[in-house]
Amino acid sequence: MKSTRALLSLLLLSVLTLLGSPAFAEPIRLWHGYRGSEEKALEAILKGWKGEPVETLAVPYDAYLTKLAAAIPAGQGPDVYIDSHERLGELRARKIVGPVGDALEPGVFSPPALDAVSDAGVVWALPLSQKCLALYLNTDLVKEPPATLEDLADLIGKLPRGTYPVVYDVQHVYGIAALFSSFGGRLLDEHDGYGFSGPAAEQTLLFARDLIEHHVDPESADGALVTNLFKSGHAAYAVSGPWLAADLGDKAAVKWRVALLPKLRATGQPMRPLLTVESVMLSPQGALKPEARALAKLLASAEAAKIRAQYGPTPTARIDVAAADEGAPVQVFALQARTAIPMSSSPTMHAVWDPADRAIAKFIRHSATAEDALAEGKHRFDDVHRPLPARASPTPALLVAGVLALGLAFQWVKRSREEHWGAQLKQSWSSYRYVLHAVLAVGLLVIIPLVIGATTSLTAGNDENLRYVGFANFINILTARGGPLLASGSFYLVLLVTLLWTACNIVLHVGIGLALALLLSRPTLRFRAVYRVLLIVPWAVPSYVTALAWRGMFQREYGAITGLILGVNRLFGTSVEPIDWFARFSTAFVANLTTNVWLGFPFMMVVTMGALTGVPDDVLEAARVDGATRWQRLRLVTLPIIRPTLAPAVTLGAIWTFNMFNVIYLVSGGDPDGTTDILVSEAYRWAFTRENQYGYAAAYAVLIFLMLFLTTRSRGTKSDEKKIAATPPAPAEVV
Amino acid sequence: MASVTVAKLLKRFGQTEVLKGVSLAIPEGAFAVLVGPSGCGKSTLLRLLAGLEIADQGTIHFGERDVTRLEPRERDISMVFQSYALYPHLTVRENLAFGLKLRKTPAKDIEKAVLEASEMLGLGPLLDRLPKALSGGQRQRVAMGRAIVRRSSLFLFDEPLSNLDAALRAQVRVDIRKLHDRLGTTSVYVTHDQVEAMTLADVLFVLNKGVVEQSGPPLEVFARPATRFVAGFLGSPAMNFFDAHLESKGAGFQAVAKDGFAMAVDAERFAGELKAGREVTVGVRPHDIHVAEGGAPFQVSIVEALGAESYAHGTIAGAPFVARVEASTPVKKNDRLEVSFAEMHLFDKQTGVSLRAP
Repeated sequence: MKSTRALLSLLLLSVLTLLGSPAFAEPIRLWHGYRGSEEKALEAILKGWKGEPVETLAVPYDAYLTKLAAAIPAGQGPDVYIDSHERLGELRARKIVGPVGDALEPGVFSPPALDAVSDAGVVWALPLSQKCLALYLNTDLVKEPPATLEDLADLIGKLPRGTYPVVYDVQHVYGIAALFSSFGGRLLDEHDGYGFSGPAAEQTLLFARDLIEHHVDPESADGALVTNLFKSGHAAYAVSGPWLAADLGDKAAVKWRVALLPKLRATGQPMRPLLTVESVMLSPQGALKPEARALAKLLASAEAAKIRAQYGPTPTARIDVAAADEGAPVQVFALQARTAIPMSSSPTMHAVWDPADRAIAKFIRHSATAEDALAEGKHRFDDVHRPLPARASPTPALLVAGVLALGLAFQWVKRSREEHWGAQLKQSWSSYRYVLHAVLAVGLLVIIPLVIGATTSLTAGNDENLRYVGFANFINILTARGGPLLASGSFYLVLLVTLLWTACNIVLHVGIGLALALLLSRPTLRFRAVYRVLLIVPWAVPSYVTALAWRGMFQREYGAITGLILGVNRLFGTSVEPIDWFARFSTAFVANLTTNVWLGFPFMMVVTMGALTGVPDDVLEAARVDGATRWQRLRLVTLPIIRPTLAPAVTLGAIWTFNMFNVIYLVSGGDPDGTTDILVSEAYRWAFTRENQYGYAAAYAVLIFLMLFLTTRSRGTKSDEKKIAATPPAPAEVV
Repeated sequence: MASVTVAKLLKRFGQTEVLKGVSLAIPEGAFAVLVGPSGCGKSTLLRLLAGLEIADQGTIHFGERDVTRLEPRERDISMVFQSYALYPHLTVRENLAFGLKLRKTPAKDIEKAVLEASEMLGLGPLLDRLPKALSGGQRQRVAMGRAIVRRSSLFLFDEPLSNLDAALRAQVRVDIRKLHDRLGTTSVYVTHDQVEAMTLADVLFVLNKGVVEQSGPPLEVFARPATRFVAGFLGSPAMNFFDAHLESKGAGFQAVAKDGFAMAVDAERFAGELKAGREVTVGVRPHDIHVAEGGAPFQVSIVEALGAESYAHGTIAGAPFVARVEASTPVKKNDRLEVSFAEMHLFDKQTGVSLRAP
């Protein structure tokens, strides 16, 4: 009685809490990805907020979108959040952003910035600040910006040794887009089609490669190199964004200023960099709250812009806030932003980066003509961005599942009718209890994910676009997406690479493992135990750590192998070029292989050492007496005897290698051009870097599973048969 | 076929000197048995002959050929191992053919040789089995087959019967001897079993502590042991020993045991070695003892009756003593008998060397 009352009161309490919760004023939730001075600026701005309390949360950039997508529909997300404008397309597709409505002050924002956050007359965010590339001058070396970019070539020979005229990342789309725009190109056309192809793109590539090959621009200039070279005074000009100014600060060793990007003499058109606009956005719920809209308005206000200007050099998106002095970095960036091209906020933009970057790299490496490289880039884009397969009727699948279920049920009923069935079940009841936890664990951790994965492979699309497509994914994969069967990135080519990868690895793992085991099993060897421990160490280190270490060693500029080559050059006066390991398939494959052999041989060595103890000494002696040489003893006696022990280890090793994601992903990362990708890393890319095509990736996974399952199974039965054939029943008679 | 000549062979394992200068000669076609207790170096000697170990000093010749430093495969030998050492992954047929295949023998000849060997050893129905599907005796025969199939010039046997049960051992022993008589290949056979040694050997080498104590035809070694060790090692039950000293008696000598019992010594057999006062060890085989009045006093403590004969255990002159008696002779526990010796061996008490004239 007492307990019932307690239960009732508890129930009442919870109901009250649930009912009462909306009655309490909820704070406005604000998410951002800021750190350091930007976060301080935000705090200073919020001091001027007079409304409801604000709860701010700093979310790491990597997880930003996922967290928003997970939290907002559940009502746990922010009312107001700060993000880059190019996410808008995705945010809108996921329905986690609302129009700003009355938060917008008309006529105060820079037109390109406002353009970037609007679509069809609806404004989806309030621009805060804008980031784009501009030209930095090292005023110790040059006084004025060049009239055209081509004029930089005149500086060659006039600068101190080891100083480049310009350091400019033309190896990536973000940087090269400024050139591309001068040639009149657009990364995405108005129908969201891939734009980085055609004559403009070809001219852009040629121009970029000329810069590098005439030593106007250093090879492999990326963000870090741009900063380093300019900071250390090794570049007269740099093409970079406000972040370089923040990095240089007031105490920089070089004197610098910022100017607008020059024209190209070739086109007569200015370089127009890509513009990203940092904006305040409202979640659909937030858009309905006046308080949230007011907060958004405050964050985008002129006062806020002034506060922000005190904390950093990023130009505001407002035109009514007086810029700093003429020529100050902030002012120049604001000017540059006016001519910049807002990055497309279409979700399709995601799919542009990778194919375009690869095309650039391929052309600059001289691996393909501009036309081919660009065509391949377009092909890649189309591959990733192909339309979803048509919905298929799930009826046949359901029918099959139904028939199977019926069959099972029938079987069950038949069994239950058998005599003694009940008694037997009762008798073994306790045994079932003992295995129950194992069955549950395996079911939960292995069977259910397997079934879910297999089911996923029959679907395509995400979220509300998710659809059942039958075997369309499989057909698509197995027909190489309609292209040539061995086209780059096709299932068959990747399968061939995977098989080559597995075969090379297994041969080396077993070979080296066996050789070392034989060496270590010699009783005459001194310090055997020490060697054994040392040789097992690679195995004991987590594989991703090893992979990263090897990746570092293969790094072209600063890697240990380059260091070794340079050391040899210094010592012997030779001039061996450092190897660009990831520029060619062969060297990249060797790099992967080396890493995985390092990881894999200790296992084979340990297994072989164990197996070798099972080879009787006198059998080897018998072979010696029979006339076998050392090699024949190994080949004809030792190996056949240890083979049954080794075979499962080799099978296991083959499966591990076939699915060795870590090494491929971390060492070569599929470079060059995804040629060193194996099926698993390819599946990963479809799932996580190519528009989250989980169904497609799952189809890859199912194919991998089926291949491994069938191969290992057929091997197992074959060797079993042989064993049975060779072993007649033990004889009863004794001599 | 080849004779085997071993000269001053020395072999050390670390600090331990296992063979201390062994010399021996085995005539062509002979069946030589190396016998001795555990650790006497007989197996090491065999492994040196096989080439599985290399001597530290000394030489080994097969016929005229110096094989001291040759690899086993260059020596033209076959060996039967104690554990048989069959190739576990090969069938009986492949086990037999293994050595021939390594020598690139034509397949037809291999087939013929294998069939011949398998017929000789009755392996026919077993040819396609793996060793693990064979009984101990069958494995032993396969091991023998593997040795004979190559028709090498020397067969080496390393205690090949020690893993068989007693009944099987007796039978295979006979089979081995038959096989040798048929093939006539020079054979060296290592055993610690004196019955095998006696029954198989054409020539017997008794090893002790790394040296050959005595060699010769088995019956001769049995009848005329050169040392107290050989005398004690061969024969079952073992020879009885007790201490005595020599005294002159008329023209001859007599051995006087501690308890004062005196035995006449046949001076002719021990010519030159006898002198009064010499301390000796008297050796008498249990089979050379007869119950007779006026003999040595023998206190019986226990009797083992085997049916056809009995062994009476007791003491003579304070030393343990075993006598064989006919089953018909009534001997029982605690009897006091008087026994005489049909044959008596004398050894120097210190060196153990036989006093018998060579």
